[in-house]
Amino acid sequence: MKIDRRTVLKTIGTAVAMPAISRSAMAQATDTIVIGGSVPLSGRAAETGLNVNNGYLTAQKFINEELNGVEVDGKRYKIDVRLFDDASDPARASTLIQRHLDDGVQFFLGSFGSNIVLPTAAIVERAGKPMMQTGGASDQIYTQGYKNIFCMFPRASRQLYNTIEYFAALNPAPKSIMFAMANDAFSKTLAEGAIAFGKQKGLPINDIVTLPENITDASSLVNQIRSKKPDVLLATTHDQNSLLIARQLISSNVDVPLLYLSLGPQLKSFREALGNFANGLYFQQFWDERSPYKDAIFGSAQGFATYYHKHFKRDMAYHTASGAACIVAYVHAMKAANSLDPAKVREKLAALDVESLYGRIKFTPEGDGDPLYLGSTVGQVLKGNAEVVFPEASRTAAPTYPAPTWAQKRG
Amino acid sequence: MTLQTLVDGLVLGGLFSLSAVGFSLLFGVLGVVNLAHGAFVLIGGYAAWTLLDRFGIDPLLALPLIMLGMFCLGYAFQRTVIQWATKRASLLASMLLTFGFALMIRNALVLIYSPDFKSVTPAYAFDSLSFGEVTVGLTRVAALVVSVVLLALLAAMLRYTSLGRTIRATAQQEQAAALCGVNIRHVFALTAGVSAAFAGAAGVAIGLVMPFSPPDETLWTINAFVVVTLGGIGSPAGALVGGLILGVINTATAQLVGAAFPNAMMFLLLVLMLVVRPAGLLGNSFKGSR
Repeated sequence: MKIDRRTVLKTIGTAVAMPAISRSAMAQATDTIVIGGSVPLSGRAAETGLNVNNGYLTAQKFINEELNGVEVDGKRYKIDVRLFDDASDPARASTLIQRHLDDGVQFFLGSFGSNIVLPTAAIVERAGKPMMQTGGASDQIYTQGYKNIFCMFPRASRQLYNTIEYFAALNPAPKSIMFAMANDAFSKTLAEGAIAFGKQKGLPINDIVTLPENITDASSLVNQIRSKKPDVLLATTHDQNSLLIARQLISSNVDVPLLYLSLGPQLKSFREALGNFANGLYFQQFWDERSPYKDAIFGSAQGFATYYHKHFKRDMAYHTASGAACIVAYVHAMKAANSLDPAKVREKLAALDVESLYGRIKFTPEGDGDPLYLGSTVGQVLKGNAEVVFPEASRTAAPTYPAPTWAQKRG
Repeated sequence: MTLQTLVDGLVLGGLFSLSAVGFSLLFGVLGVVNLAHGAFVLIGGYAAWTLLDRFGIDPLLALPLIMLGMFCLGYAFQRTVIQWATKRASLLASMLLTFGFALMIRNALVLIYSPDFKSVTPAYAFDSLSFGEVTVGLTRVAALVVSVVLLALLAAMLRYTSLGRTIRATAQQEQAAALCGVNIRHVFALTAGVSAAFAGAAGVAIGLVMPFSPPDETLWTINAFVVVTLGGIGSPAGALVGGLILGVINTATAQLVGAAFPNAMMFLLLVLMLVVRPAGLLGNSFKGSR
């Protein structure tokens, strides 16, 4: 055989093209539903990002391994969750989502953090693909007129309604309430929504303090509490900042009868870091593995929790459950649509009203969770455990108010 | 401004000073802007956490051990990475290289310790000391004492010991020092070792007073940069003055202007110093400042 330049080029060209051709053919034959997205596995949002990631992966693992996939339009499909690490960086997340779109991904899962979800949601919305997410609750996401973005949480301004109701029902009634909010989109909106609702309820909200996004020193807040002596402090801060505030309040011996840290005490690591001092702290609680919810895929909330603990070493947080519920919502919508057409699945997601491991999934017309069904409950650390204390229908333990002082906890 | 605010500012300033002095020394002597400095600080914090959590060793008792380990790490880092970069390329290359190392260390910490925040909580973590109306957490007092003592020891070492004189001579005139028989490479590596040891000590002090996680390395590198710009390059006194001023400005701004504004004030000060007095308050003629 004569080997000339043309033959060599043909051979090399074929060799280069073959894997791509065969990969494309295989993708058509394996019957998978690809759901793409990014999550922060490194960077500042990684702690909760990892919880969200594990929720997504638990649902994928259970559906594929225990149920042999899902049936849509008479055909069985495996779920293929493809997640990239966006390193808590919105710019990087946007690039990764665009890459998924270029690869032909039809369904999306969200990252964690409103600052990341906001730009990625805009890209997905423009492409007309649905996105289920459990990490972006800032109001900005739900006031843009988006039709394809759905969240397991109500928008931030509506998340603390139950908390305000609880404050209004306190006995003795608080005489002064202080708000401290971190200077980021989510924390600010969360506090502002609660302040507006609290004022509507006639609560004595006397002081509002804005904190930096990342706090290295909380002494100015501690000093203000020391001088103004509020009955309630509600801080909308992320886990690490919440721990710093709690530690400085404890070591300065500055007491607040009701200390509410929106994020932090729900984590076991947070409660362990404070030991006995964690008891009595209030927080935002969205889910508890003892919840009596039934689920078409996992059987129940407890069924999900048992499966998770069997296969993952990391402690479970409510973001883990809400992450899994995102995939559960997709499965319900795909089955109801009896199609994998993104537009039809989007229609069914918008109309979804089902009980799940995470509670009743129902969205507002703007796509955020219905505050009645997916809103937060009031949590409190009691005997080292995270309990639900309000509303009474969801209660796992009776609340302690006023909380014991730091000196009493020392003793 | 109340006395409590002033004391809180001084405590915070002590941490800033200790975390910046190593950065200042390396910049002053080698002219290297070590962007992995914050990562070294965090290694110290994680080492303290590990020794307390796994072996029950108090962070203050573990301090010499951590400083020794960090000294070795810093020495090796200079003899391999930085020296290689500055010899074959330029000081700018060393900056890029240390930035790359910072990213690698940050991700290594995520892999080893997970992205979850850690908190060093010895038995006295929640105790406090009161002087009249002023109350300060015991760990904060401990962190301030550690900072001041270590900075004083470093200043004494640089001023009175043979090694200190050699480091200062090398910083002022590298070629002349070499002509006098000083092993420049060794002195540079010793300086990098001391710098890393102080970064590690800062990590222990920081771990005592606040929770930390891998992404915080950026924060401590930036803080060190601001402190050094404010206080002047290459001297422990400069780092101490810069750190304390920054700490007081931080808490005073939070108290008088608003808790959201300390960072804005910090960077405003940085810009002002660069315009008005680029060598810093106690600036000197060390290589990095020329």
